[in-house]
Amino acid sequence: MNIEKTQNAAELEIKVRGRLDTATAPQLEAELKESLSGIEKLILDFAELDYLSSAGLRVLLSAQKTMNKQGEMVVRGINETIAEIFEVTGFCDILTIE
Amino acid sequence: MNDKKQKLASSFQKWLLILVVIAFLATTVFLWVFQTKLSKDNAVSLLQLNISDVRQDIIDASDKNLLELAWAIAGDVDSQNEITSVYLAKLKEKYDVTEVNYIDFEGIIRASTYPDFLDYEMASGEQSADFLVLLSEKNEYVQSYRPVSYDASIQRKYGGVILKNGGFIQVGYGAERFRKDIDEFVVGVTKNRHVGKEGCIIIVDEDGYIVSDRFGNEGEKIEAAGIKLGGNDFDKVRVFTAEVYGKPCYCLYENAEGYHIIAAMPKSEAALSRNVSVGVTTVMQIIIFGALFIMIFWLVKRLVVDNIYKVNDSLAAITEGKLDTVVDVRSHAEFDALSDDINQTVDTLKKYISDAEARIDAELAFAKAVQHSAMPSVFPPYPGRKEFDLFASMHTAKEVGGDFYDFYFVDKNTLAFLIADVSGKGIPAAMFMMTAKTLLKNFAESGLSVDEVFTRTNEKLCEGNEAEMFVTAWMGFIDLGTGKVTFANAGHNPPLIKKGDGGFEYLKARTGFILAGMEGIKYRKNEFYLEPGDCIYLYTDGVTESQNLQSELFGEERLLQVLNENTNEKADVICEKVKAAVDTFVGEAPQFDDITMLCLCYNSKSEKEREI
Repeated sequence: MNIEKTQNAAELEIKVRGRLDTATAPQLEAELKESLSGIEKLILDFAELDYLSSAGLRVLLSAQKTMNKQGEMVVRGINETIAEIFEVTGFCDILTIE
Repeated sequence: MNDKKQKLASSFQKWLLILVVIAFLATTVFLWVFQTKLSKDNAVSLLQLNISDVRQDIIDASDKNLLELAWAIAGDVDSQNEITSVYLAKLKEKYDVTEVNYIDFEGIIRASTYPDFLDYEMASGEQSADFLVLLSEKNEYVQSYRPVSYDASIQRKYGGVILKNGGFIQVGYGAERFRKDIDEFVVGVTKNRHVGKEGCIIIVDEDGYIVSDRFGNEGEKIEAAGIKLGGNDFDKVRVFTAEVYGKPCYCLYENAEGYHIIAAMPKSEAALSRNVSVGVTTVMQIIIFGALFIMIFWLVKRLVVDNIYKVNDSLAAITEGKLDTVVDVRSHAEFDALSDDINQTVDTLKKYISDAEARIDAELAFAKAVQHSAMPSVFPPYPGRKEFDLFASMHTAKEVGGDFYDFYFVDKNTLAFLIADVSGKGIPAAMFMMTAKTLLKNFAESGLSVDEVFTRTNEKLCEGNEAEMFVTAWMGFIDLGTGKVTFANAGHNPPLIKKGDGGFEYLKARTGFILAGMEGIKYRKNEFYLEPGDCIYLYTDGVTESQNLQSELFGEERLLQVLNENTNEKADVICEKVKAAVDTFVGEAPQFDDITMLCLCYNSKSEKEREI
């Protein structure tokens, strides 16, 4: 997994590449934990995300909860596989997917 | 390792270098001082040798001169019948001497140019008594220039020769007189005399005028040569330093027959041997100390530092987790002991780790057992109910997982069945699973519809869910009388349903959000009908996401295929076949997740319903 951050004032865009699973989720979680303070809009770019496991979903849920308190969170560029995962898990109900 | 800290080798190198340099400087300084003293002593003894030569030459010359005079006077005296003081006075004038005495065979002065000396007994003074040898064994005797016995303030040089008719003549003169005779000789004494290479001898008279030096300064005051003579201390041999003709010199002076003899040698010449000797020794020392330095440094590096690195490498391996690494530096007793100690420590550590592992394993096994016992595990579960056939299994991974299944009657004719998966693993997941399972059962048994059960359970689970865990679950209520299944899905994998003579198919229905994910979620219920002979198969992602060694997933296609190969089997067989297929697919790869499944086959509508 590879994480690329771009911050523009209170807007943070995080591009995640590769697999977001049990092994890599803690890395994204730590990254979010230290970056989210003061952020009003979080954009997660999943255009190059290949796989998302339940551990990854947990990180997304946590981020969504945090952003619910301080602004908004948008998930962008998801492929069919990821869309299906969101569909199957009901995450499409709580995420803002562009 | 901290880079800022000095390495042992370089620290040692530094101190060793400092010590070697100190030792080197100390020996060099000592050698310098010692050689300087030695060179001065050598110079002085060389000066002494030369000065003694010159002194002897002068004494010999003046002795010879005085004795010649004495013999001439004695010849004159022998020709007289009577020896009177008056005659001696004549001879004194004739030979230009200071004093002439006649001493008879008894050793008493019988005639003298000094009236005071008449009847003086020669034996009464030390200086005069020496002349008595002329009465017994010698026929001539000469003394060096010195104070006379009669009056110590008078300095004389005396010589005596025997007379034909007994007794002897003693002739004395002062320095001025004999210098007149021997100055010419003395001038020549120093001309070709070199002391060492550049040193010289200077002869000075009583008045401080140079009589002889090899630079031709005769007649000059001695100060011209750069030397000051201190007082009348001439009898003592003295070593001093002075700038002689512009060169710093070691000097030595001595007195001979009223002459001051000064021998001088330039310090630079004296120091030459020292410089050569110190130079040679210094070079030798540099070689020796250098070799010593390299040797000690090399030895320490080889014996200590390299071994420390070896120990360190082993320790690094141990720290990396290779606990089977053995430290084996056996070059010396100390390293032997160190190696043994480290190995012992590691062994103890290993033992503790394995003990702890064993304890944790035992606790996990216990936790697993508790978890299993919370799920119905006797099949068939309701031997009296022929309307359905139900089987469920859970194969846990090594770690305690969060999968669970459950089924129970919520009323006489309605069976609830569910499968769920808690996010994460380990004890926290297992505990969360127990809570979720209990809540679901409580709400279901209280008569709520399946969507309400999920909605209420979600609210409860969200309370105080600090660990941010969540559960995916699929729950269905089957009315055994009609075959109507109402169900709700909280983010779980869709089940597969076999209808009639067709194969299994994934149940397509809108999925709700996971349980415990977010408060305020309203779950919806859906429904479908099972006819006798139909089956529904529930599973967790442990089935579809089992991986083989090539990291391929078992996948939904394979699952569908296995199920469709066993459409006519009973629930337990279906489950076993799927598990067997997964095992075959996975091969040697380790199992990461729980593999849980539940299969319900609807056999017939219940009697009660038929009656209606």
